[in-house]
Amino acid sequence: MNDIWTHLALFLALSAVIVLMSAFFSESSDRAALKSFPRRLFVFIVGCGILTGVLLFFEHTLASVA
Amino acid sequence: MEPLVSTLFGPMSSFPSRRVPSQPSGDPTVATFLTWFVPGAGHLYIGRAGFGLLAFVIVEGLFLLGLRLSDGMGFEFLQEELRGLLAPALAPELGNLGGLIYQIRSFGFGPGFPRPYPDTVILGSMLTAVSGVLNICLMCHVHFEARLSKGVSSGMKSPALPVLLTWLVPGLGHIFQGRRLRGVLIFVCLVGLLILGSMLADSSNLSRERHYYYWGGQLMGGLPAIGLQWLWGSKQVTQAIPYAEAGLVIASVAGLLNILVMLDVFGWSERAWFGEDEASPSEGDGEATSPKSVEASA
Repeated sequence: MNDIWTHLALFLALSAVIVLMSAFFSESSDRAALKSFPRRLFVFIVGCGILTGVLLFFEHTLASVA
Repeated sequence: MEPLVSTLFGPMSSFPSRRVPSQPSGDPTVATFLTWFVPGAGHLYIGRAGFGLLAFVIVEGLFLLGLRLSDGMGFEFLQEELRGLLAPALAPELGNLGGLIYQIRSFGFGPGFPRPYPDTVILGSMLTAVSGVLNICLMCHVHFEARLSKGVSSGMKSPALPVLLTWLVPGLGHIFQGRRLRGVLIFVCLVGLLILGSMLADSSNLSRERHYYYWGGQLMGGLPAIGLQWLWGSKQVTQAIPYAEAGLVIASVAGLLNILVMLDVFGWSERAWFGEDEASPSEGDGEATSPKSVEASA
């Protein structure tokens, strides 16, 4: 957790590219793709956040070595 | 007669078939599978013997040259615990299935004990991988050509050409199609990620011997990935690299995203050929060169 901000920045950079490519793939119009980008990015990040929460819960509950 | 992208991804890419010729050259699925096993065989099946022969010579020539340069040791990069019947199936060589089977049967994973690699093993394994990617482009080509009328060729407007260009340089296929904004954004994003990943990993990600499968993902980034390997790939790792894994993942994801981009250019050309209105570049960058119909090129 020492460099959490670096990890978050890398995650955001990678997320932005993944979401932009998927928006381009889904929308044939550039304008529509770019317009949908913020919503798609938000959904992607929230989804990743939920997945992280679930993984942390199971790790804490089932795999903790503390 | 459904287009390839439609077959793979369902209703999102459902295309009207009103411009599909009544007498296609052959079954696109059969032609594609034939090409997968033997490069050029699909073209022979649809009556394009000359193109098929040329494609066979180029793709198999690269593959055999690669085998020669690497002494067939490409799969010996795989660690012991990863070796199995389907282990090479995630390598780019899978695009050339006949060649892959030949390599597995003739060389496999080696004699079972470590031995020195030839000096040219990196170039050799790169060439076998590139032949697999080229054969995928060839499969795209024959899948499309098989749906055209006999005697009709899409020529330079084949969707396979932007697919090949996209593999070579991410975004170039879009620029070729006239979708410049999209092409430039894709280039900046994907090549930027490849460079960022390689910098974070201190270029340790650029070795196929070290990261067999991740390297395969990176190779889908085309010439930028190959260029980075040529520039930085031989660097020795002498100390712990704090972000090695992050860099490895980022560079590999960049290459894998280029597959999505290749599907996008193929689908766009396909829709343009077969006349779906949505495919017209009216809201894009404006000057796309869209083939109007199959018959127009005849």
